[in-house]
Amino acid sequence: MDGVGHHLAFWSLAVITVGAALGILVSRNLIHAMVMLILSFIGVAGLYLLLSAEFIAVVQILVYVGAISVLMLFAILLTPRAARDNAETAMRYPGLILMGLVIAATVFVALETDWGAVREEPVAESARIIGQSLINEFVLPFEIAAVLLTAALVGAVALARRDDEDIDAHEQSLTLEGREDSGGSS
Amino acid sequence: MSAWLLAAWYDLRDLSGISREITEWVASWGPEWLASAVSGAIGAIGILAVIGPTLMILIWTERKVIARLQVRYGPNRVGPRGLLQPVADAVKLILKEELVPRAADKWLFFLPPVLVFIPALLVWGVLPFGPHMQVADLNVGVLFLLAVSGTNVLAVFIAGWASNNKYALFGAMRVIAMTISYEIAMVLALLTVVFLTGTMSINGIVLWQQQEDLILIVLLPMTALTFLLGATAELNRTPMDIAEAESEIVAGYHTEYSGMRFGLFYAVELANTLVMSAFMATFFLGGWWLWGLDAWVPSWIILLVKTSLVYFVFIWLRGTLPRLRIDQLMTFCWKLLVPAGLLFVAIAAVERTLLLEYAWDRTIALPVMAVINAAVTVAVIGAYARVTGAGAHRAPAGPRMARGRLGGLRAARQLAQAPSGSD
Repeated sequence: MDGVGHHLAFWSLAVITVGAALGILVSRNLIHAMVMLILSFIGVAGLYLLLSAEFIAVVQILVYVGAISVLMLFAILLTPRAARDNAETAMRYPGLILMGLVIAATVFVALETDWGAVREEPVAESARIIGQSLINEFVLPFEIAAVLLTAALVGAVALARRDDEDIDAHEQSLTLEGREDSGGSS
Repeated sequence: MSAWLLAAWYDLRDLSGISREITEWVASWGPEWLASAVSGAIGAIGILAVIGPTLMILIWTERKVIARLQVRYGPNRVGPRGLLQPVADAVKLILKEELVPRAADKWLFFLPPVLVFIPALLVWGVLPFGPHMQVADLNVGVLFLLAVSGTNVLAVFIAGWASNNKYALFGAMRVIAMTISYEIAMVLALLTVVFLTGTMSINGIVLWQQQEDLILIVLLPMTALTFLLGATAELNRTPMDIAEAESEIVAGYHTEYSGMRFGLFYAVELANTLVMSAFMATFFLGGWWLWGLDAWVPSWIILLVKTSLVYFVFIWLRGTLPRLRIDQLMTFCWKLLVPAGLLFVAIAAVERTLLLEYAWDRTIALPVMAVINAAVTVAVIGAYARVTGAGAHRAPAGPRMARGRLGGLRAARQLAQAPSGSD
C-alpha cells in the first residue's frame, strides 16, 4: 500500500467502517442500527477491494448487504415493539463488559501480531483460483457446507410448514366461530 | 477496415481513445494518483452523459409507446409531439413542496431517494460499450452486477419503513419478498451464462459470443426469458409491480414521497430499466458486437440500438399485461423459473464439458445444442402451462380460466360452494 490514492482510500474507508460500527452502538433505534451495520459492511467490502480481493469484496456485498441484512430487517420487523427506544435494557452492563473484553482481545492481537507486508503481486483472477481450490483441495469442506445448507433449508421448510391436520382444525374453528357470529347478529 | 484510423483519439468507433490520450497527458506531468483519478472521472462523466439525456427521452418514449399500445395519444401538448413533456414534468416536480410526514423518521426518510441512485449508477461501470470502452473490466463483473443491483431493495425498504405509513410498509415488504425470490431465478440465469462462456467478466461474455459467432439468446432461450422476467421483477415494472400497485396500496413504498423526491424514484426506475436492458442486450444479444458490423459502425451505437430493442420489450410488457397477484408471481418464480433455471445450469454444464472434451466442429455442435435447448424450453414451459391449467385447449369444454389453479372462475366456484371455509 503506497501512494496518495491508497492512503486516502484506506483512511476514508476505515473512518466509514469504524464510525458506522460506533453508530450501531450509540443509536437507540434498531432500524438505525441496522442501516449503520449495512454501511459498515460496505466499508469492509471497500477494504477488501483495496487489498485486490475483488471476489471477496463482491461476495461481501452480495451476501452481507444483499442477503443477511435483509434477513435481519425482516427479523426486526417481525419483532413486536422493535422500533421503540432500545436504550434501557437489563443486558446493558453485561453487554458493555463483553464489548470491553472483545476490544481488549482485538487490540492485544493487533499489537502482538507481526504485520509483515506481502511482497507478492496480487492474484489476477482470484475467483478462478478460489473455484479451482474449492473443487480440488477443499472439496470435502465444500461438500460438508453444501450438505449443512441443504439440511438448514429442509429444516426451515419443515418448521414453517403446518401439518394438514392443523390447517383443517384451524379452518374448522374459524367456521364454527363464523357461524356463531352470524347467529348472534341475526 | 483502414488501420490508420484505428485507436486514434478521433476514432469515433472507440471513444476510449480520447480517455487514454487525456490520461496519458495527465500522467506525463502529474503524479500517478491524479492520472487514475482523471481516468475514473472521465468514466463517471461519460456514464452521466449517457444517462442524463437518455432519461429525458425515455420518459417521453415510455409514455408515448404505452399510449400507442393502449390506443391513446399520450403526451402531445408541450412542444412538438409532446417532446418537452419531460422538461415540464421535471419543472413541476421541482417546484412542488416536499412534504415530510410528522411521524416519519426524519433521518431515514431523507436517505432512500439518494440511496437508490447509487446502484443505478454503479452498475454502468461494468457495462462494456465497446471492446475497450468499459470503466472497469472486473473479472467478477457478473457477480458485481448482481451484488450492486441487489442493494436496491434496501433503499426501497428504508423508504417504506421511514414513511411510517402502512401502505408504504406493505409495499416495502412486498418488494423484498418478490425480489428475494426473483433474484434466485436471475442468479441461476446468469450462472448458466457463466457456465457456458467460462468467464465472469462481462466483456469476456461478449467476446465469447463474438468468437463463437452467435448470440446467446439462440443458445439459451429459457435463460434469456428468465433474465428478462427476473429483471422485470427487480425493476418493479408493471406485470410485477405489486410493490407500488396503485389500485391496492396507493403508491407502495413511495406513497409519502412528493416533489422531486418522488421524481428521483421515478427517474431511478427508468435508469434501472435502461441499464437492465443494456445488460440483457450484452448477455444475450451480443452486446457491442454484431457479426462484424462493429468494425464500421461505432460499437456503442450498436449497443444502444440493442438496448432500445430490449427496452421496447419492457414497455411492451408494461403496456399489455395486467398486474399479477403475489401468489401468481411466487408460483411463476418458484415452480417455473427456478426449476427451469436449475435444469439449464445442468444442461449448460454438460454442454460446456462436451465442448471442452471433444474437438467437435463448433459450427455444427452449437446449432445442435441450440435446437436441443429450444426443445427443452418448449417442453418445460408446456409442462408448466399444463400443470397450472393455463395450457392451450384445442376444444375448450368450458370457460378457460375455470380450469386454472391460479384463481379465476374455479376459485370463485369453490368459494361459492363453501362460503364459510375460507379466510
